[in-house]
Amino acid sequence: MASSIVLGIAVLIYLMITFYLGWMGYKQTKSTDDFMVAGRKVNPFVLALSYGAAFISTSAIIGFGGYAGAFGMGILWLVFMNIFVGIFIAFVVFGSRTRRMGVNLKAVTFPELIGKRFQSRFIQGFSGLLIAVFMPLYASSVLIGGARFMETALGIDYNTAVLLLTIITAAYVITGGLIAVMYTDAMQGTLMFVGMTILMVYTYVNLGGVTSAHLALTNLASMVPEAMAQQGHTGWTSMPAFGSPIWWTLVSTIILGVGIGVLAQPQLAVRFMTVKNTTSLKRAVLSGGPFIFMMVGVAYVVGALSNVYFINTRGMLSMDVAGGNIDKIMPEYINSAMPDIFVVFFMLTLLAAAMSTLSSLFHNMGTAIGHDLYRESIMRGKIGHTISITKLGIAITIVISVILAYTLPIGIIARATAIFFGLTAAAFLPMYAGAIFWKRMTKEGAIASLLVGTFSSLFWLTFVHAKEATALGISQAIFGQATLLTGTWTLVDPILVATPLSVFVAITVSLLTKPASEEHIKKCFGN
Amino acid sequence: MLGINDPQIWLAYLLSVLSALGCVIYGLMHWNDKDPLEES
Repeated sequence: MASSIVLGIAVLIYLMITFYLGWMGYKQTKSTDDFMVAGRKVNPFVLALSYGAAFISTSAIIGFGGYAGAFGMGILWLVFMNIFVGIFIAFVVFGSRTRRMGVNLKAVTFPELIGKRFQSRFIQGFSGLLIAVFMPLYASSVLIGGARFMETALGIDYNTAVLLLTIITAAYVITGGLIAVMYTDAMQGTLMFVGMTILMVYTYVNLGGVTSAHLALTNLASMVPEAMAQQGHTGWTSMPAFGSPIWWTLVSTIILGVGIGVLAQPQLAVRFMTVKNTTSLKRAVLSGGPFIFMMVGVAYVVGALSNVYFINTRGMLSMDVAGGNIDKIMPEYINSAMPDIFVVFFMLTLLAAAMSTLSSLFHNMGTAIGHDLYRESIMRGKIGHTISITKLGIAITIVISVILAYTLPIGIIARATAIFFGLTAAAFLPMYAGAIFWKRMTKEGAIASLLVGTFSSLFWLTFVHAKEATALGISQAIFGQATLLTGTWTLVDPILVATPLSVFVAITVSLLTKPASEEHIKKCFGN
Repeated sequence: MLGINDPQIWLAYLLSVLSALGCVIYGLMHWNDKDPLEES
């Protein structure tokens, strides 16, 4: 347990800086544009760190790090996807087009960008609704991650930790808007970078260097518990058996679902609209790539290597030390392996990771309700009480996230994150990619793709994909069987079914319907 | 390689490191790009 006085002082200093940056955001927020897109003049370094810090949450570090502790290093493919797709493709290919179209159409949110591109209030309203309904699931999993660490490191009651985390974050998001969110993100990102660097160096040095640490982990393969070996677990430095349940979850839900889903994350895409030119986006790649590597790369490698540490010190695998709850592997490791003073620092690192993601999710859920649903769909564009409704929206979605954090089952972090990423990939990605790259895509094509992506993804979750379908029990209640299909189908993630369907519908319906006027396309894409 | 036998794993490890370095190189090479369509 960390010394409580040092920790108390460190947390206090951290909170003072957070509130100072939040207050700066509040002072600088004078218009709706400031609250929604930070006035479109954010510095590239702040963009990269803020994007990275919002992207990487306690879900990635605690949830997926714990997953690596249980199932091994196969999840390193997600690191590669996160850097190549999540940073390079996102910034260079999607970012520059998104930014330009955002300026051309004067859009301030992700749903608004798509809605205006396709001249459809329905798209904007429905996308806003989807965010408002499903983003709390992701937000609650981030909350759980942060609160679990506070519980283990500080000895605070879990329920109190959830409330503390929420109230502090909500305070600066509601008052300071996106400027406060991005500047606190950048500060939190810096803290995360330092914390993860220490974690990596310390772990490798402690285990005798890179190669010998990996070698020791490779040699643990014979200790894989029988039950897990039957599910396809082959060791911590080898891929699970091809086609096994663990393989399907790793490849379809985690690597593809999260790896590709990131492109269509509304809270991340909106950040492209905050910088003043394309060069800023290219410059942001420089710090973005290494930042993501140091976050997820380190979390997954260390998560897997925690097995070596626990076998050496206690003769137990990480999963057993954590009492079977994978969300507790990383906190247990950090608490036992790292010196007290670093535990304090990690406490802050993870607090920062949780708060930076939470703040952007809260902000995004709020703008989805206030701007996309209320102003554009209900008030037909009249400003009305947009900012107040946005703030109220933030408050309501926060309450829902907190309730979910209290009620979701244990060990849920990685899964809830993957569900949200998978749903946004199917619902938003084909429509978003079409909006910025394919001039021929029509309003009808976009609506069809949005609806088919959303509902086929939800259908698959509820009736076919065994992990969720069994837990929800809806299929059991209606049809008397846990899943409608059997065999390998029940292992295939919704993203692999719903996204291709959504792409197919987007293309077919667009080609069958009348294209938008040339004048409108010119306005969207510029000359 | 690196104490890992399965090429599917060390390849992922290696690609992660290389793509992070690639991002740094890309950022440096395009640091002073001017886009004629952009306002400065």
